[in-house]
Amino acid sequence: MAPPFLEIRNLAKRFPTRQGREPSPWVIRDLSFAVGEGEFVTLIGPSGSGKTTLLNMIAQIDVANDGQILFSGDAIAVSDPKSLRPGLDRRVGYVTQDDNLLPWRTTIDNVLFPLEVQGRLDDKTRAHAETLVKAVGLSGYERYYPHELSGGMRKRTSLIRTLVYDPPVILMDEPFAAVDAQTRAQLQEDLLRLWEMGRKTIIFVTHDIAEAIALGDRTLVLTKQPTRIGAEHKIPFRRPRNVKDIFALEGFASVYETIRAEIQ
Amino acid sequence: MKRYRLIDRVLVGVALLLLWQLGSWLLGTYWLSTPWLTISRFCTSTWSGEMLRHAGYTIEEAALGAIIGAVPAIILPFALRRMPTVVAVLDPFMMGGYGAPKLALAPLFILWFGIGIESKIAVVASIVFFIEYFSTLSGVRQLDAKLVQMAQLVGASERQVARHVVFPSAVPNIFAGLRISLPIGIAVAVVTELISSNRGLGYLVQIGAMNFDVTQVFAALLGATILVLAVGYAVDGTERVLLRWRPPADSQQQQLGTA
Repeated sequence: MAPPFLEIRNLAKRFPTRQGREPSPWVIRDLSFAVGEGEFVTLIGPSGSGKTTLLNMIAQIDVANDGQILFSGDAIAVSDPKSLRPGLDRRVGYVTQDDNLLPWRTTIDNVLFPLEVQGRLDDKTRAHAETLVKAVGLSGYERYYPHELSGGMRKRTSLIRTLVYDPPVILMDEPFAAVDAQTRAQLQEDLLRLWEMGRKTIIFVTHDIAEAIALGDRTLVLTKQPTRIGAEHKIPFRRPRNVKDIFALEGFASVYETIRAEIQ
Repeated sequence: MKRYRLIDRVLVGVALLLLWQLGSWLLGTYWLSTPWLTISRFCTSTWSGEMLRHAGYTIEEAALGAIIGAVPAIILPFALRRMPTVVAVLDPFMMGGYGAPKLALAPLFILWFGIGIESKIAVVASIVFFIEYFSTLSGVRQLDAKLVQMAQLVGASERQVARHVVFPSAVPNIFAGLRISLPIGIAVAVVTELISSNRGLGYLVQIGAMNFDVTQVFAALLGATILVLAVGYAVDGTERVLLRWRPPADSQQQQLGTA
């Protein structure tokens, strides 16, 4: 059997102990899961359960203290800060909680930034970027600076900045947490529509149960610290999905209630 | 708003001129020249080319001093970005250099470099350097680590991070430094000329005072003031164009309450 596309094995994390104190507790311990190619996995857990830390370790901007991360069966170095490769040579895209747009670049220049530094900016990739800008409804705002955009628009910009260079795996850290409910629903629809176009592998962290169910093929529920995977749910709903109607679907309520009980 | 501001400015200007005129009535034009005498002297002196020639020397000193002082001051914090220990070791010395009364070095520089342009350049450079160094340093320090991380994640090399993230984020601080240090640079060039020189606006002031020609002193000072204002406006204008991306809340305009 072929190894899974992305596998996390017994990952563990504790923050450095400050001098003269008791060893700091494990934030994450014995955390294992696998993700298939083109799968949309949502991770949900109580706040403070180390969700961001987990994504940071997968994105190689933070070290793990133990365990393995494997890409198609190849283990990557996770514990030595010097050998970390942020973004794993562009194989892992990361939509962080903050949009982290460069304030001195306009919308389109922010979206083109990855292509520019990767030396892949040409007519074809530029056209692709413009298609994405249109797809998320940012037409007409290409020449605006981030401070002139609304929160939802900045989110969309940061989303397509990651999509534009086509990383096989995309991590998303509560990307829609800071926007109002209506904008969030719209952003979720945008995301699903874009995903249907290319079906990347997505690991999506959220604390919103409905969001986890609405977006994911599978939802993993994290435990309290030390965090590991507590439960797993296959989401049975057909795609393409309509985010706004998902609540009315049969089976939604029961999955929702189960996950809610597991988180508490 | 804008029109009222212009009217207010004209009013304040007229009031100051009146005050000046009143002063010269009270004290006599021998001690305090009148606005009219000053301006007409300034004009004839400019027309004859004398004022421009001396202003040219002062500009040359200030410009060369500013370049020699500002360029290394801007480069250094970037070069030392990855070496916090070196920055920390240098810190007390830089602070000392920043705080030391550099004008007091002028006699020393004149001793070393003569009364020509070189000694003025040295004084201006020594002042511009420290102001610009600390300004740029704080810009490099304020860098948002998350932006750097984002750039690394999408595949930017160390060099690309420096060029596309670190440098642009420090530009507002570089300009803040220039806005303070360049006008001071001109003022310092003039003051250094006062101490010892045979040309420049400071020299005009000195000669005027020695000849009890108060009007010449005032005309030369007017020239220096116009220079300082022009440089200030030039820096502000360049900044406005380059920093269009800044949210209005931290832009210069808003700070002055004019937006």
